[in-house]
Amino acid sequence: MIVCVAVVGHQNNPLYIQSFTDADDALKLHHIVHCSLDVVDERVNNPKKSGPPLNETFLGLLYPTENYKVYGYLTNTKVKFILVTTNLDVRDADVRNFFRRFHAAYVDAVSNPFHVPGKKITSRTFAERVSTIVKSFGLSSAG
Amino acid sequence: MGREVSESCIDSLLTEMVSTYCNRFYANKPELAARRIEAIGYQVGHQLSERYTMERPRFSDHLEAIKFICKDFWSELFKKQIDNLKTNHRGTFVLQDNHFRWLTRMSIDQSPENGASEEPSIMADNKAVQSMHLYFPCGIIRGALSNLGIPCAVSADISNLPACSFVVRIKA
Repeated sequence: MIVCVAVVGHQNNPLYIQSFTDADDALKLHHIVHCSLDVVDERVNNPKKSGPPLNETFLGLLYPTENYKVYGYLTNTKVKFILVTTNLDVRDADVRNFFRRFHAAYVDAVSNPFHVPGKKITSRTFAERVSTIVKSFGLSSAG
Repeated sequence: MGREVSESCIDSLLTEMVSTYCNRFYANKPELAARRIEAIGYQVGHQLSERYTMERPRFSDHLEAIKFICKDFWSELFKKQIDNLKTNHRGTFVLQDNHFRWLTRMSIDQSPENGASEEPSIMADNKAVQSMHLYFPCGIIRGALSNLGIPCAVSADISNLPACSFVVRIKA
């Protein structure tokens, strides 16, 4: 189950943070997202031989905390997408699919002429599309 | 999924935009009009580069990004690629398009047989109007490159129409 998604700009400024839990731990989720930014920077600047190739957008599992998994995705324009999930057996293909649809929704939101680059995304359409994508995450997998 | 408009709409819109900014909004201030048109191009280039780099792996260096502009980006915008790319390997690139789409509808001055009869000021005016139309594509290139993390300055050179060169100088 996805707990939180975040879009962070190229100067590490938050563009969109949305948590999907009823519990009141939004602050903890924001903290996790913030810490994962360092991991993203480290992955990009010091490629490990066993990790993904230097120029792939999907960064994979960034780091597992006690009950969350954090995935990262870095676009060509240095915008980072962070996904925090509580699923313990989430598949790689599902996460890649999620990021692909999320990227498409982000591109549409940024193409809005009333959106100021660098400011937070305030589009309701974007929020609805994101919650649709989040709800359908992992549902296509059998069992 | 996307809706499309006919290309003549884009041509007319661009012509009208340049005409409005030069003759109505900033009638006696061509530098201001040029900067506003270039700023519009910057935002358009910013958003378009976001969209056209969506499925691609990240670029490893500046040359890759410039090649992306020359090939994929230009094909998406103008259905053709840049015909010639030159560089001095020190941060300056010249992108030459031999048949720039947005200039195809523009008349080329036929110089008279004895070139002395043409007033030099009239020829300079024509060149100025033609160069106004190029601020928008310069802005698009600058916006696209700066969204890819490459701050630069872009200028255009129309010494021989309909070929058109864009000079990109990357800021160190």
